[in-house]
Amino acid sequence: MAVYKRRYNPYAGSLTPEWSRFFVLTRYAFADLFKSRFFVLLLILSLIPTLFFAGYIFIANNKTVQLLMQLRSSDFLAVESRYFILIMTVQTQVAFLLNCWVGPVSIAGDLTNGALPLFLSRPFSRTDYVLGKLAVLGLLLSAVTWVPCLLLFSLQSGLAKDGWIWSHLWMVVPIVLCSAIWILMLSLLSLAVSAWVKLRIVATGAIFILFYVPAGLGEMFNAIIGTHWGRLLNFSYMFRLILAKGFRDRTWFLITSDWNEIPVPVAWGVLIFVCLLSLVILNVRLRAREVVRG
Amino acid sequence: MNPTIELKELEVQLGGRTILHGLTGVLKSRAIGLLGPNGAGKSTLINTLLGFHSPSKGSARVLGLDSHTSGKALRSLVGYMPENDAFISKMSGVRFVRYMAEISGLPREQAMERAHEAFVYVGLGEARYRPVGTYSLGMKQLAKLAQAIAHGPKVLILDEPTNGMDPPARKRLIELIREIREASDICLLLSSHLLRDVEETCDEVLILRNGQIASICNLVEERRANRKFLELETIGAEATFTSTLEGLGCECAVFTNGRIKVVMPDSVEIREVFKVAADRGVQIRRMNHRRDSLEDIFLNAMEQTGAADGRL
Repeated sequence: MAVYKRRYNPYAGSLTPEWSRFFVLTRYAFADLFKSRFFVLLLILSLIPTLFFAGYIFIANNKTVQLLMQLRSSDFLAVESRYFILIMTVQTQVAFLLNCWVGPVSIAGDLTNGALPLFLSRPFSRTDYVLGKLAVLGLLLSAVTWVPCLLLFSLQSGLAKDGWIWSHLWMVVPIVLCSAIWILMLSLLSLAVSAWVKLRIVATGAIFILFYVPAGLGEMFNAIIGTHWGRLLNFSYMFRLILAKGFRDRTWFLITSDWNEIPVPVAWGVLIFVCLLSLVILNVRLRAREVVRG
Repeated sequence: MNPTIELKELEVQLGGRTILHGLTGVLKSRAIGLLGPNGAGKSTLINTLLGFHSPSKGSARVLGLDSHTSGKALRSLVGYMPENDAFISKMSGVRFVRYMAEISGLPREQAMERAHEAFVYVGLGEARYRPVGTYSLGMKQLAKLAQAIAHGPKVLILDEPTNGMDPPARKRLIELIREIREASDICLLLSSHLLRDVEETCDEVLILRNGQIASICNLVEERRANRKFLELETIGAEATFTSTLEGLGCECAVFTNGRIKVVMPDSVEIREVFKVAADRGVQIRRMNHRRDSLEDIFLNAMEQTGAADGRL
């Protein structure tokens, strides 16, 4: 089918492995994202807190700089679990905002003009499709959560010396696990919303509503009934609970009430339930052909 | 060799309704047309062949691969051009086709090359860098064809390919489809409401009505059979004329007012009929070289299974 010959020729060349094809979606999505100046700006802004945290770690570990700045060691928050909780809290909120910009358009663009049958009429399953889209959000949100957090952990390990790394190595587990559940929940939820709502602004609004309206309803429920189980509808609170328990540190900015009132497995269960519910919605919406019942 | 499409008691239920009722048939030709009024089940059959719908009973096979159990293997052979809008509006045409080719498994460089080639081939070379969303309806149809052929499929499934095209564009598309069919060993399944599209591109036709097979017709054989069937209106010595024709191996049936029907064997050409008529002093006032058009076949199929509702 050479251009100059203008005739049809079948393809007889090599093919890429089937398992790797979902990544084509990810690659094209990233290429499209990086065309947007607003997205690039948002990504840069979301990494700025990490630079501040890195600077803080550098100063906290450098006596010369402290002397030059006329600061005392007691002025500093110790770079321990509480400090990493702060980093995680800031970065996961940044991830939430980034997700609100990127997530809503990821599937809607394909559904608006009926492109889904084109994907699914190829040796490409719905699972591949979801994996491809999930990888976009997964990689992006990882870049602003656990990856910078681990880099800061490495920086602190390098600067603190005296075996700091060995006594704090356990913190790698909550950093990775807590980030993973947060990223998975945010990504799946925004994909489900994107599969349901086609307009970006409405989808972004829907994500905010899903996070804040149930939380408010839960607090109302708590106030009326006199219980604390309404907090199960507050996904951010559930995440903070997991984070605090993971880092074995209850801080004022994470948990405002008795931190034993909701067991951690229940908090995990809520976030996993949201993930499963999102998968069910994706399963319903991502069909090559819609079937009208009746 | 495996038949192109093989249906065995295929039943498909959607939304609690049975859409396809136990279809059974074997289609062996390389170019198959799918005909039927609205709601006959054409799109459901195509979607079932692609594995989008699961059969509630029976099976459907394409080139020997079961659409349900070997869906992925089957789809790796298929290029599909859907009936409705199917594109990513913000992507340029060539990037869209490249994207689809890469999902089909072509490496990046080859996908890029084939996307350009496919776009030039379908006649959209000049518009390939424009976003697909800005294309006219006809151009979108061609872009859909380009994405269906870019990865070099073995089976090309075209659902209403000429929808929304003006006559010159339609003619060009039909020529392209014929070219594709002739240039390779690709199998073609074309669903259309336009009998002419099917007649010009297909060798075999599956006619559906109310989710059942109304007819399976081999157009090549039909055309061959019709070529040897003449209806004549004559003046003169009919008896000697017909007996001479019968002597050549023809079968003749004589009716009133000099009307004669002649079925000719393969060895007899039409000019020999003229020669006999001239020798016997018979005037041939009218000759109808009867040709069952696809329309006749379609209407017959509709009448056999109930009154044709003329919804085509």
